[in-house]
Amino acid sequence: MKLSKVAIVRGRGVLSSGSMIDQKKLIQMYTRGFQILTEQSSLRESVSVFFRPRERIGIKINTIAGRKLTSRPEATICLSNILSENGIQGKNIIIWDRTNRELREAGYRLNLSGAGVKIFGTDTDGAGYNSGLISHLNIGSIFSSIQSELITASISFAVLKDHGLAGVTAGMKNYFGTIHNPNKYHDDNCNPFIPELFDSKFIKRKHKLSILDCLIVQYHRGPSFHSPWAKRYEALIFSSDPVAADFVGWQIIEKLRAEKGLPSLKEENREPQYFITAEKMGLGRAQSKFIQIIEEEV
Amino acid sequence: MKRRQFLKSAGASFIASSSLTPYFMDSFAFGEYANLSKVEARYYKKHPDREIECTLCPRFCKLGDKERGYCGVRENIGGKYYTLVYGKACAIHVDPIEKKPFFHFLPKTNALSIATAGCNVNCKFCQNWEISQVRPEQVRHYDFPPSSVVNYAQKYKCPSIAYTYTEPVIFFEYMFDTSVEARRKRIRNVVITGGHINPEPLQDLIKVVDAIKIDLKSFSGDFYHSYVKGKLEPVLEAIKIVNRSDTWLEIVYLVIPTLNDRPEEIRKMCRWLRKEIGPDVPVHFSRFHPMYLVKNLPPTPVSTLEKAHKVALEEGLHYVYIGNIPGHKAESTYCPSCKNIVVKRVGYQIMKIELSGGKCRFCRTPIPGIWS
Repeated sequence: MKLSKVAIVRGRGVLSSGSMIDQKKLIQMYTRGFQILTEQSSLRESVSVFFRPRERIGIKINTIAGRKLTSRPEATICLSNILSENGIQGKNIIIWDRTNRELREAGYRLNLSGAGVKIFGTDTDGAGYNSGLISHLNIGSIFSSIQSELITASISFAVLKDHGLAGVTAGMKNYFGTIHNPNKYHDDNCNPFIPELFDSKFIKRKHKLSILDCLIVQYHRGPSFHSPWAKRYEALIFSSDPVAADFVGWQIIEKLRAEKGLPSLKEENREPQYFITAEKMGLGRAQSKFIQIIEEEV
Repeated sequence: MKRRQFLKSAGASFIASSSLTPYFMDSFAFGEYANLSKVEARYYKKHPDREIECTLCPRFCKLGDKERGYCGVRENIGGKYYTLVYGKACAIHVDPIEKKPFFHFLPKTNALSIATAGCNVNCKFCQNWEISQVRPEQVRHYDFPPSSVVNYAQKYKCPSIAYTYTEPVIFFEYMFDTSVEARRKRIRNVVITGGHINPEPLQDLIKVVDAIKIDLKSFSGDFYHSYVKGKLEPVLEAIKIVNRSDTWLEIVYLVIPTLNDRPEEIRKMCRWLRKEIGPDVPVHFSRFHPMYLVKNLPPTPVSTLEKAHKVALEEGLHYVYIGNIPGHKAESTYCPSCKNIVVKRVGYQIMKIELSGGKCRFCRTPIPGIWS
């Protein structure tokens, strides 16, 4: 049986000088991540495994927690640069989240111009929620037109965080930001809502890659930022299997919690059962025996 | 009433309401966050690490910083909990009170009816989901503070203000303050709710409002879990609390084919109602129309509604109505003693009132309600 591959690329010192990021190291981290996943020798070839040249790529980031715990702007821009320098036209890349306000508060500079990588929220004039009500399993939502219409392929570039209700939030839950009513899907540890939303047509058909921003991991009291439990983990996680990527993230959170003497998520009655549901739905792998983890440091 | 006369009066009612809100139910283009309110919520507990627990409704949402409750209109900002919809009405209409429906409360009058975005449940058959199941920044809204609401009620000669369309519980602070101000101007307040509210805020609310209509959506916990995303027990408790108060109470039961229309379930509910709140609380069985996430079912057959009506009468309820079937004889109020019609209705129109001092004009039996 084919294993799902997950790359954990550590970049010790990538956050070394205060809040600044070592760009050179960041590029090395991305390069290794893409190469491990695709086994291609060049970045251009690696990128072409996931995306066709004329693809319109959405990089769905997570900015809800604000500047201190967002998909870091430097890392997101670095990713978009890598794509635009390796076969994807910059004008066909959209970095986005729910609102312009959240993007600005997280440190992003909005860009709506025709040239270059675009950065804007769903609430931008001309975007909005306008695809009509989509009913899928237990989900009944209206999608952001960015996800439903503007893009043809999607990268979930989420922050790995503990979550008071879901247990863990990462790449799959990041897509809650594509619908108008995520507040309706937090019951029962977000299960089965996280996998069912991912399974909907605008996400499953377009999702190509999960990259988890683990430069800082909030392993307790998430999803908002709390410095006592925010670890400078200095890693990025890559996988084309959205479930496996998040599953590996979950194990990291459990490990960090154990190191600090915190109870496991199961002991806190918030073990993320949605992984089991996701695997049953065929969205990916949520068992260690089916996941090949390749961990490297650059 | 002739058909032409009926249509004419219905049309007049629509014009009155639409003139107030030209953008009601407009597209999903939404405005800037900055236009939302930031008024501290009344019912919540603070926990360590900037976490809060909302105590307004039985969900008891526990939220970290920057998170919103299930309702989508209350947000934890830095460890304090705020309502984002205070004075932010997304629907403003002048409606006949019969549309709510209230059949034993100021008949033949209009209610200035307002709503904000949001709801604390997610009924799969919601008729107003475009405003109830969205966040406030996703629907066009108006700055309409309590004083303006009261002024408009006076301007449009409405003896009551109705908090309706979505779920008023989620705009509790706005509703409460408006109600207090309205009472000072001798305007009454009516609430149209699913009853998903905790006892403490409900006890506070009934001190300032005059009538509450509770949508009892089923008598099955499973139905509430699957189709409402809420719980039955708190709604039953709310019904009992309102009934014990001086606030007038009416019950609506939307009958949905195959989902909550079994006669035995309806009989069980009617027995409970008679035992817990007595036979005199009006009960309306309303017709379902396919909507929102339940579009695979037909409208409720009239015969199903008539069966429910019959069951309720058999169980001893005195004031049982059929709704959303304009012209049906069960729209009218019958004296439980002499069986004469004491309030004749056709649609939202009152054709005649045979009451005097709140009593049947034929046999002098008191008919409960707030009639003037």
